[in-house]
Amino acid sequence: MAIPLYGFLEGDTLGLLVLAEEGETVLELARKLQDAASIRVARSNRVGLIYNGKAIDPRLTVAQAGFEAMDRFDVVWRDKL
Amino acid sequence: MLTREEWLPLARKLDWDFTYVREEEVFPEVISGHPWLPHTEWEEWEESFKTSYREYVDNQYEKDMAVYAVRDAVGRLENIQKLAAPWLNSLKVHAAALPLAEFTGVIGSLRGARFGRDSAWRTMSTFGALDEYRHTQIPLLLFHQLVRWDSQFDWAHKFYHTNNWFAVAARHFFDELTLGQNAIEFAIGTNFILETGFTNLQFVGLASLARESNDHMFERMVTSIQTDEARHAQIGHPVLTVLMKHDPEYVQFLLDKWFWRSWRLFSILTGVSTDYLTALDQRPYSFKEFMEEWIIDQYLRTLDEFGLKKPWYWEIFEQELDIYHHMIYASAYTYRATLWFDFVMPSPADRKWLRQKYPKYWDDMDAVWEQVAKRWRTIGPGAANESAVHGTAMPTFCDLCQLPLSAGTPRKNTATVLTRDGHKYIFCSEPCRWIFLREPERYANHKDVVKRVLSGEAPAQLPNLLTEYFRLTPDTWGKDVNHGAYDWLAAQKKSTA
Repeated sequence: MAIPLYGFLEGDTLGLLVLAEEGETVLELARKLQDAASIRVARSNRVGLIYNGKAIDPRLTVAQAGFEAMDRFDVVWRDKL
Repeated sequence: MLTREEWLPLARKLDWDFTYVREEEVFPEVISGHPWLPHTEWEEWEESFKTSYREYVDNQYEKDMAVYAVRDAVGRLENIQKLAAPWLNSLKVHAAALPLAEFTGVIGSLRGARFGRDSAWRTMSTFGALDEYRHTQIPLLLFHQLVRWDSQFDWAHKFYHTNNWFAVAARHFFDELTLGQNAIEFAIGTNFILETGFTNLQFVGLASLARESNDHMFERMVTSIQTDEARHAQIGHPVLTVLMKHDPEYVQFLLDKWFWRSWRLFSILTGVSTDYLTALDQRPYSFKEFMEEWIIDQYLRTLDEFGLKKPWYWEIFEQELDIYHHMIYASAYTYRATLWFDFVMPSPADRKWLRQKYPKYWDDMDAVWEQVAKRWRTIGPGAANESAVHGTAMPTFCDLCQLPLSAGTPRKNTATVLTRDGHKYIFCSEPCRWIFLREPERYANHKDVVKRVLSGEAPAQLPNLLTEYFRLTPDTWGKDVNHGAYDWLAAQKKSTA
């Protein structure tokens, strides 16, 4: 089931709605946001994901990481983690 | 025969003591506003510029004739067609945002004309309502002739009748400020904050931008409107004087609330027009310089005059002067098909100027424009390539101002999520969240565009959202004015090849 989330990519000028799939990994979710914002922000492999103020293991699935609908997550440059 | 000076007070001060009904029944607090005070507290209410109906009609007639004369001389279609493309799109923004918003001002002013607490106030509000009706009709008249040439001008009338995301935001603002407002809050929010603080001075600035852009028709129109605004905006000052004696904390709240809400809309309309939709060699100042010279100094002086404090969010506001409208413009450019006007990409010369005027965060904004330019260079120019240089994911909106979540900086967006009564809300900034939490019952049931999509009220697919919900068509939705065909972009492509 898709979980609607507010995604904020570091370097971008607005937040985007991202539909996260429970089975996809946190890394895939971060990539999904990067793809959605790629017209404004160049893609980078050196990013990590922050949710509820904590860096999330990119190997976890969305379900394992406990994302809840309409929450905010951030994709930031890795040196910020 | 009485002289004007002898007669005018008799015509202005018309209140009498009620004997068959109570004063609270004639002026109920729910519609006259808080705090409810007996008329004895209001009877000294005095506007600084006094006029009679006859003088009002004579003046307005002359002003209308001056507008029509300029229209006949320089406001014909062939004159408008000579204007620079970016400025034409600034006209389309104002053509849509202005006229029907002014009509909501008619309704708000008429509430003051009936429920204002002193007869002089009610007389001034009656003139104010007539002013606002004029401000509705003049732009509709002037822009209507342009519809047959460019159907984007049709949005002068259509805008507020759509669920376009910007119309949703503008309605959310004006519905509260004017249509659904009591007489006191209308006088503070509209007359004192929006008109005295922003639009009166904004129109001076807009007239100057129009003059630099050789748009003498628009220059005359906004000058004519501004002179009306300057008169009826005075209603706010004496209302504030009375309120300060009885409930200064409430005054501070109203001022802080409406300054922020007005700033949000104003920064988009005027910020984008000044720094992006006016040609570089015709920009007399940056938006930030205009704000500092015309708006901020004057507002702070007024706060001092009344013994009021700066809004608690003043540092946030000052930071936004450097960045907010830039984030909005870049976001909107990459979602231009969701709007009814066309966009221009800032050239290297524009970007150099913007860096000079906005050094604090421009590095981050420049990276965004470089990325957009790279996409055009890769895809190549042309109308058929517009969609390849456009966002596809759903943008998100603030649950208070209904504008995109574009506050903070590109490095740190300031949006925050709030859970209340089992519902989640998101706000672009702390002031928007604060306004919501002060009066949640006013705002909690309003759905932003994202929640309408998620609940099935609005289509989820972008093309359907644009045509079925935003009521745009391929002819009217926004594009790049050059479809990416910029000389500087082609030169960059050649040099990197």
